[in-house]
Parts: sequence; structure tokens; C-alpha cells
Amino acid sequence: MNRNYIILTLIMLILAIGTIFISQRQFTKQVPPEELLWDVLQPTRFVSTDLVAKRIIEKDPSQLLIDVRSASQFESFSLPGAINVPFDSLKTSAAMAYFGNPGTKVVLFSNDGILADEAWILLRRLAYKNNYVMKGGLNGWIQTIIRPLAPAETSSEKVIEQYNFRRAASMYFIGSKTDVNKSQKAKITFVKRKKSVVAAGGC
Amino acid sequence: MGPLIPNGIITGDWNFVIAILLGIAFGFILEASGFSSSRNIVGVFYGYNFVVLRVFFTALIVTMVGLLYFDYFGWLNMSQIFILPTFWQPMLVGGVIMGLGFIMGGFCPGTSFTAIAIGKIDGLLFTIGLYLGIGMFSLAFPLFGDFYNSGNLGNVTVSDITGISSSWLALTFTIVALAAFWVTMLIEKKVRKRITEYKF
Repeated sequence: MNRNYIILTLIMLILAIGTIFISQRQFTKQVPPEELLWDVLQPTRFVSTDLVAKRIIEKDPSQLLIDVRSASQFESFSLPGAINVPFDSLKTSAAMAYFGNPGTKVVLFSNDGILADEAWILLRRLAYKNNYVMKGGLNGWIQTIIRPLAPAETSSEKVIEQYNFRRAASMYFIGSKTDVNKSQKAKITFVKRKKSVVAAGGC
Repeated sequence: MGPLIPNGIITGDWNFVIAILLGIAFGFILEASGFSSSRNIVGVFYGYNFVVLRVFFTALIVTMVGLLYFDYFGWLNMSQIFILPTFWQPMLVGGVIMGLGFIMGGFCPGTSFTAIAIGKIDGLLFTIGLYLGIGMFSLAFPLFGDFYNSGNLGNVTVSDITGISSSWLALTFTIVALAAFWVTMLIEKKVRKRITEYKF
């Protein structure tokens, strides 16, 4: 037998066996660091609480709210329709099914927005797109949507319009607990009718 | 890194340049392997020449194993590779027709062109027949258009269907191919003793 054939056969066999060992190293798909850094700097990765509220009210099916806080915190309070994916179980396959689906915008939120931000960076590093962070987190939600501060009367029309939307949204989310302006209450006064006195005497 | 064009490393304008270079390389390898002779090609069916099997099996296992390593080194993203959709019934029938033509004509489409390139008349006739067949197929296409598009399995690979990992498949194919090389070498030795050696 030709010696070259034997050598070639052995090389091919060793290379082929080698593929079994290399494939066991799991390579997760990830974006290059430069791209990640660029995306982190983009302000478009944040969504305002107003927009989130608007989409919830409109029942926008493309919005998927993900609460990255712990399960106990999620149970005590969360946004309507939100799904709980605790930060430490973010990389499980069950949780990953929520991300990267075409046509859905995933909005991540936590109490202050930092945890959600971290989750966003992890997801972006894993090359998932269409993820957003709710600016200000749930604290921001309370401050802006649930208990909006009345702007000064001299504010621009846009600010006042935003305030009105927030008040309406607040009513939508927590029921009508609006402050009623007492000064405008109409005072109801009962006027007693004088008894008609029948003329005495006479017949 | 790769594939080069989808990842924007080179522009799509290079498509034709690469196609020509690959075509030249392919033709060169076919000719160098002796594929422009139909005796060499059909020898595989008669058992006196297994060069077809060896060349194509070599290409297959080198590519299979090579792609796995390229993917491992990050030179090629396997998920971006285009996989032809599988239409299982038409492909089966087409394979039978192709096999019949192969053994009758003594060429496959690619090798018939290399045969023309070195001035073979049988290659030329085969190619004329090839174009006649293509024309007939095109004209008669409405008759079997439905069949042509039936049994679509999508862009699947063997590893997608069976669930076996591609490295195990590559190893299996390599072992089968290497075994085939040695077995066919033995067969050739036995058969060639009984027949007169052809000068190709």
C-alpha cells in the first residue's frame, strides 16, 4: 500500500474525530464590543413611562413588558400584563423565548431602572434586538404616571397636555382617585318654605 | 467573519469574479481527476475505476470537517450559510433520471463541459442533448409543475432532521468514505487484473 494514502487517511480521521471535541464548546452568539458600546450610547433604547402607559391603555400587542425584579416583588406590585423574568433566571431557555421575536418590542423594567439596564446589556450582548428599558423604572412610573406633579400654570401647552394624559392614565391604572376641587363645590342651600299661614278668623 | 458578502467584508460585486474563479478551479480539478473521460466516470458502475467516488467523497469529507473547524475558529458563521430547500419526492425522481443519464451518457453536466474543453465529440453531443433536455423540460413544465414543487421540507440539513450533531455526522461520513477508499482500491486491484488497462 502507498504510504501517502495511509498518512492522509490517518490525518483525515484525526481531524474528523477532533470535530466531536470542538463542538462541545458552546459558543453563544454575541455582538462585538464596539457595536455593543455604540448601542449602549443610543438614547433610543429607552422608552418613556408615558409611551409605555399609552401602549398599555391601547392594548398594543407588540409591547411585551418584562419585570426583571424578584418574584416576590413582582407579586406585590407590577405593571398590568407584565411577565416576571427575575434577573438571575434571565439566561434560562424558558426566559429567552420572550426575546428576539420579530414584531415584539420587549420593555424591561425594574424598581429604579438599573437592573433593567443590566438585563438590557446582557441581552444586547447576546445579540437580541428590539429590547428597551423603561426610563426611571417603577419609581419613575409612580412619579410620572400614578402621581403626576401638576406643572406650573405658565408651562407650555405640551407639558400641560402631558400632565392631563398622565392624570387620565393614573385614573386608568389605579381608579379615580382624583383630587376634587372643593372650592368649586356648589353649595346647596335648603330654603325652608315658610308655612303658609291660614288667615285666622273669618269663616 | 464569513460568509464574506453577507457580512459586508467584500461587496456583492465580487459575486461574478468569485464565481469565475471557482468555476475555473472546479473545471481544473475535474480535468485533473480525469473526469473529462467518460470511461473514467462510468468505471464506478462497472467496478474498474472508482475515481469519481474518491474525488467526490474527498470533497465531501474535507468540506464537512473543514466547515466545522471554520465555524469553531470563528471564520465562518454556519447559521448564515444558504441551504437549498429539500423537495424530497422530486429530488428522488430527479436523482433516478440523473443516474440513468449518467450511466448512459457517461458524463454529468459539469464533466461534459470539461470534455468539450479538451475537444471531445462525445462530450459535445452530450451537451447538445443536455440543452435539448432542458428545453423539453421547460416546455413540458406545466405538466409536472405541481410535482416539481411537492414535498418541500424547507432548508433542512441531515442534522436538523435526525437531531444528530453535525460533528458526529461528519465523523460517520469520514469513516464511511475512508473505508470506501480502501475497499474500492482493493476492488480495483482485483478487477483490473482481469481487464486490459485503458489508456485514457
